[in-house]
Amino acid sequence: MPNSPMIQSNDPAHSSPASQSLTELCLGVLPVWERHLATSRSQSEVAVTQMLKAFADIGPHIDLAERQSEQITEALSQCDAGVSGLTRACERVLAPVLADPLLPAAAGAAMGEVLVMVRRAVDALENIAKPFAHETQMVAEQVDRMYMGFQYQDRISQMMALIEGDIARLYEAFASDGVGAPALSDWLVRLESQYAMTEQHQDHQAKDSGDSGNDSNNETTFF
Amino acid sequence: MAKTILVIDDSASLRQVVRMALTGAGYDVLEAGDGKAALAMLDGRQVNMAVCDINMPVMNGIEFVKAAKQLPAYKFMPILMLTTESQDSKKEEGKAAGAKAWMVKPFSPTQLVSAVAKLCT
Repeated sequence: MPNSPMIQSNDPAHSSPASQSLTELCLGVLPVWERHLATSRSQSEVAVTQMLKAFADIGPHIDLAERQSEQITEALSQCDAGVSGLTRACERVLAPVLADPLLPAAAGAAMGEVLVMVRRAVDALENIAKPFAHETQMVAEQVDRMYMGFQYQDRISQMMALIEGDIARLYEAFASDGVGAPALSDWLVRLESQYAMTEQHQDHQAKDSGDSGNDSNNETTFF
Repeated sequence: MAKTILVIDDSASLRQVVRMALTGAGYDVLEAGDGKAALAMLDGRQVNMAVCDINMPVMNGIEFVKAAKQLPAYKFMPILMLTTESQDSKKEEGKAAGAKAWMVKPFSPTQLVSAVAKLCT
């Protein structure tokens, strides 16, 4: 930053003991902070990658359950070949037989009983299938939310990487005893120029985002 | 034949999320960790579309788009920018470079698949 106003350099020989000990403190502590951040970032990346791998194994089973749910819904369709239409189809086929005045009463009663049993069986099947379809849909929605949740690691990683870099710059500034270090305003301008996310700008300006810190405008823009 | 999407992001976990969303929708996926590695993959093979991050080491997303547009075989390959950047100035930069769409992370897989299907026709 050749055009930046520089902090007045301090001659170490003339630094106060307090200033020297502060410099020593920062030179000792900043690299430790930097390493902690790097490790945290790396571990979060590994953890999310492992979770995603495990999730990738579960994914096909969820897809299969979804497909089976669709097949069951199809099988339960109202058409005559579907289970839900079975009762109606049986009633239609048996109607002329039941209406035959020559049909023995016992036979008519037996057929009526069979129709009741068919109706009960169909109802039971529908009662099993409906919650299954609902649960499958719920799982699919939660899967979408999990995919979105995993992506926060990337945002956090970017923020931490920026801080790591800035800690390294601050260390260099202390190590050179402030020689060549930019003024605070220039430092902050440079830092802000590297932000990608709305919440970084808000944090920089100490503005309350009022949410958990995600860009709400995530609609797709087509050019 | 499944369409092939090139996913470019320096985050392995993000690539994994995109891969899972796209393969679940029937696409084949190629992966690259930065723009330069992605360019090396544009070697004549069939790539129907690219989904590209912006902030990456070695070669960023905007540089990749500009470079890809210089390759005759991939000049018309649609590129979707998938990034944490939401500033309009950055979007304009992507548009000027030749990107076809812009989506901000975190994205919903349904939203991504829908955008890819629209661009990949």
